[in-house]
Amino acid sequence: MQQINQNYFQLFDLSESFDLDVDILTAKYRELQIEMHPDKFAAAEEQEKLRAVQMTSYLNEAYTTLKAPLKRAAYLLSLHGLDVESVSQNDLGMDLLMEQMQLRESLEELPKNDSALAELERLKKDVKERMVVKQTGFAAEVSEGELVNAKKIFHELQFLHKLLLEIEAGEEQRLGY
Amino acid sequence: MALLQISEPGGKSSAPAHRIAVGIDLGTTNSLVSASCGSGVEVLPDEHGNYLLPSIVNYSSSTEPVVGIAAKERLVDDPKNTIASAKRLLGRALSEVSNTPLFQHFDFDQEQADAAPAIITAAGVKNPIQVSADILKALVDTAESCLKAKLEGAVITVPAYFNDAQRQQTKDAAKLIDLKVLRLLNEPTAAAVAYGLDSKDQGNVVVFDLGGGTFDVSLLSLQKGVFEVLATGGDTALGGDDFDHLIADRIKQAAGIQELNLMDNAKLLSHANSIKHQLSDSDSVAVDFLGWSGSISADEFKQITEDLIKRTILTCRRVIRDAKLEVEDIDNIVMVGGSTRMPVVREAVEEYFGKAPLTDIDPDKVVAIGAGIQADVLIGNKSADDFLLLDVTPLSLGIETMGELVEKIIPRNTTIPVAKAQEFTTFKDGQTAMSLHVVQGERELVSDCRSLARFELRDIPPMVAGAAKIRVTYQVDADGLLSVMAEELSTAKTAEIQVKPSYGLDADAIEQMLQASHDNAKADMEVRALREAQIEAQQLIDAISSAKAVDGNLLSGDESLQIDAAIAQLQALFEEGTSAQIHELTEEINRVSSGFAARRMDLHIGEALKGETIDEVEQ
Repeated sequence: MQQINQNYFQLFDLSESFDLDVDILTAKYRELQIEMHPDKFAAAEEQEKLRAVQMTSYLNEAYTTLKAPLKRAAYLLSLHGLDVESVSQNDLGMDLLMEQMQLRESLEELPKNDSALAELERLKKDVKERMVVKQTGFAAEVSEGELVNAKKIFHELQFLHKLLLEIEAGEEQRLGY
Repeated sequence: MALLQISEPGGKSSAPAHRIAVGIDLGTTNSLVSASCGSGVEVLPDEHGNYLLPSIVNYSSSTEPVVGIAAKERLVDDPKNTIASAKRLLGRALSEVSNTPLFQHFDFDQEQADAAPAIITAAGVKNPIQVSADILKALVDTAESCLKAKLEGAVITVPAYFNDAQRQQTKDAAKLIDLKVLRLLNEPTAAAVAYGLDSKDQGNVVVFDLGGGTFDVSLLSLQKGVFEVLATGGDTALGGDDFDHLIADRIKQAAGIQELNLMDNAKLLSHANSIKHQLSDSDSVAVDFLGWSGSISADEFKQITEDLIKRTILTCRRVIRDAKLEVEDIDNIVMVGGSTRMPVVREAVEEYFGKAPLTDIDPDKVVAIGAGIQADVLIGNKSADDFLLLDVTPLSLGIETMGELVEKIIPRNTTIPVAKAQEFTTFKDGQTAMSLHVVQGERELVSDCRSLARFELRDIPPMVAGAAKIRVTYQVDADGLLSVMAEELSTAKTAEIQVKPSYGLDADAIEQMLQASHDNAKADMEVRALREAQIEAQQLIDAISSAKAVDGNLLSGDESLQIDAAIAQLQALFEEGTSAQIHELTEEINRVSSGFAARRMDLHIGEALKGETIDEVEQ
């Protein structure tokens, strides 16, 4: 029986690692939803219903967290007792800041009309590729227990993710959405 | 499943083999009830064989209210006691509705201005919850006499855009007549279920709902049993009635009629309505009105309704764009509402989407049938192993923070049930109470969102600003209903509220809010930046003045003057300045007070809390 005191990985019967198969996660999520959803207890006692609401809330949160790589990474670090909310200069390093500044500058220098769309597309691809590399690095550091290094990569991923959102917002703006 | 067999306290000792649950489409104009009977789920007729119950109640005496067709007949001769379209009053405030064309002829009970709008009738004061309850009662009676059994529960459908207040009041109506609500189901989702689309592995479904007076388009995404409402849109002032008016105008024009008395006008409209119906099956309809005779052809009809049709397609286009999809991504189109019987509508939809819409199920019944299927599953008659509907929150739920900003706690389109917690802190030194304001909407400012509830957390132990930790938890259940709890973590002092707001939003308002959040995203960001700069500045000023009161002796005269001057400069610009200006001046204060802060730190190194406050402000 699944319990709220299980961590998200245990809840889905998955090993605690960054690499996970999202299809398996989703299949397991669906299985558990079918088992626990309040709809199953529509005709049951209030207490049962309340438990079902709490359990599926936890389940939904667990699924959303593990499905998204960045959230999964943060959760994994927090399971190892690292506070991902606190970031110091040492966590980041000069080279990362330089890289970020360059990427941001190239984003800001783009023309404000739709002539920039192709370049935005290229930039997006570039950022996504960088993220894939970082994610591989993160998984390796975590599995080797190098948590300080892993946290550093996590913050790099955070930067890239933010940048990606900004690129997408820029695209929407230029498309007139 | 064993759990489903537990009987209620005081209920029957042995559960019947087949449990009776119905699906209810509680509509603005008509309501329907459906149940599983033998071969499948069917809409149940009343004793006269009618499937549609007009959602109208007449309260002319203190005896039983009259519901349905009989009430509809009283609309003209007893308008003050006959309530139609009560669904439009659900979750609304009196001030929002008392002057609208549909309701302005009623006498409202002004004493209850803060509660649901209450209409004074010959049978007493009636609010929309009671009217809805009377309609539900009539449907339950129909079902029980048709099925010859007692109902054990119902699935009631609500529009996807219904907010918390509207959903809550729908449930309250059921409670009034002791009807157990198994689930509130979104209308478009119900329509998709009726067509069995929930059993497909994945796909995008557009539900095109053209009723008598409203038009709604919803885009649902189905992925592995999860129905997600990606986008909704519509026009609350577009419906089948508009097509009638166009035909009536055409006849008046052709017959050279300028003005008509009320009686003749009503006659003409009903005539137009029947012509519209006949045009669904024939190419041309003969017209005979006030001595004028002629005909209207299907082509002519198409021509005069072209603009209306264009508006419906435009809405589809916008909804698809809002969902960031292309028209090719749509796998199925489900037609709902009697007006979708018109060939002109079907043709336009087919042309736009490049595929034929689903029309096999009677568009008046499709929502009720979907609700009935879901009711049958929920009561436990049907195996639900591969059947699960997960709904999402239609609008973001947030909390008011300093500067009248909204902090979103549960974003729009989150799968429910969901619980999310966020920690907040006090703003002033020694603050012992915190007022919590729960809001719904996509905008950054409280004033642009809908207020759902307010409550207070009291008896917070006095601490330095920023030291108290208050955890606020939002919980939304499977029906989309919200409850909020606040807890001060050091003392475990709690306060909670079941959000039962007095009024809500209509589709139009939600549409506007979503549109506005789109249009205003940028302006909102600037407003937010300004508010945040102001808050930061105010906190710094407060921190410095309380620090000076305690440790003023650590300041040199010069320093004190410099700090005061910088603060005065900031205060002068506080209201009119831009976020950048305020930020700059805040930095300046930080700079001139840094020596003071450092000396205080040294002095109070043991007093961690106070040190942190200054430290935090300086970051």
